[in-house]
Amino acid sequence: MNKIKWTFMTLAILLSIGGAFATRPRCDCFQSPQYYFNGASYNLAGQLGVQYNCWVPSANTCTYTTTDGIHFIACQNGNYQAVPNIGK
Amino acid sequence: MFKRQVLLECAAALLIMLFLYASVSKFLDFKTFTGEMNNQPLPNSWTPFLVWFIPCSEIIISVALVAERTRLIGFYGSLVLMSLFTLYSMAILLHFFAFVPCSCGGVIKKLTWPQHLVFNLFFVTISIGGIVLQRRKYFKSIFLTNKNSFQ
Repeated sequence: MNKIKWTFMTLAILLSIGGAFATRPRCDCFQSPQYYFNGASYNLAGQLGVQYNCWVPSANTCTYTTTDGIHFIACQNGNYQAVPNIGK
Repeated sequence: MFKRQVLLECAAALLIMLFLYASVSKFLDFKTFTGEMNNQPLPNSWTPFLVWFIPCSEIIISVALVAERTRLIGFYGSLVLMSLFTLYSMAILLHFFAFVPCSCGGVIKKLTWPQHLVFNLFFVTISIGGIVLQRRKYFKSIFLTNKNSFQ
């Protein structure tokens, strides 16, 4: 019984930690500054949950990232919503 | 008896997988997790506490579930945590909060909120099953010990 128990436990621990590493986001756009599109230009969005929120479910793009300031790539899904200065 | 023990090991292993996976994923992508916590409809002043409390309690529950002596505490802990997550999912689905935030934690974030609710309910059921089996095993061992001491 002890053998079965430790086989289960070892498998569970190895699979969960291995799974977490395997599904870790490789190209993490979230680490770069986030921009939102106001219909005409891209503006700095700030910190998620502090300066803005992304409402889901939505097929829209909430924020974008850029490496050169010219080309913007979609990052987070949702509807962009600026948070008023008073905060949550 | 053997069948019940295997079921118990399966329940503990499933919960360990869930909690370890979720906590390690959060620590591996801590900045995103902090942002997602800020995006929740809870006061942002809670974020510094929650970003440590949630993954750490998940790891503590996983460790408790591994050892036979602390397994019952682990099952109770997982029931409390999963019930809280379930209530939170229900509150979001019932539009209790001003907006619907993203759901977090590795690939689990790909689930929609209704899927999240079913997922949480499944693990609440596993925790209850684990408590029932573990308690039965515990009382059976006490009964056998008393029976042997009287003989």
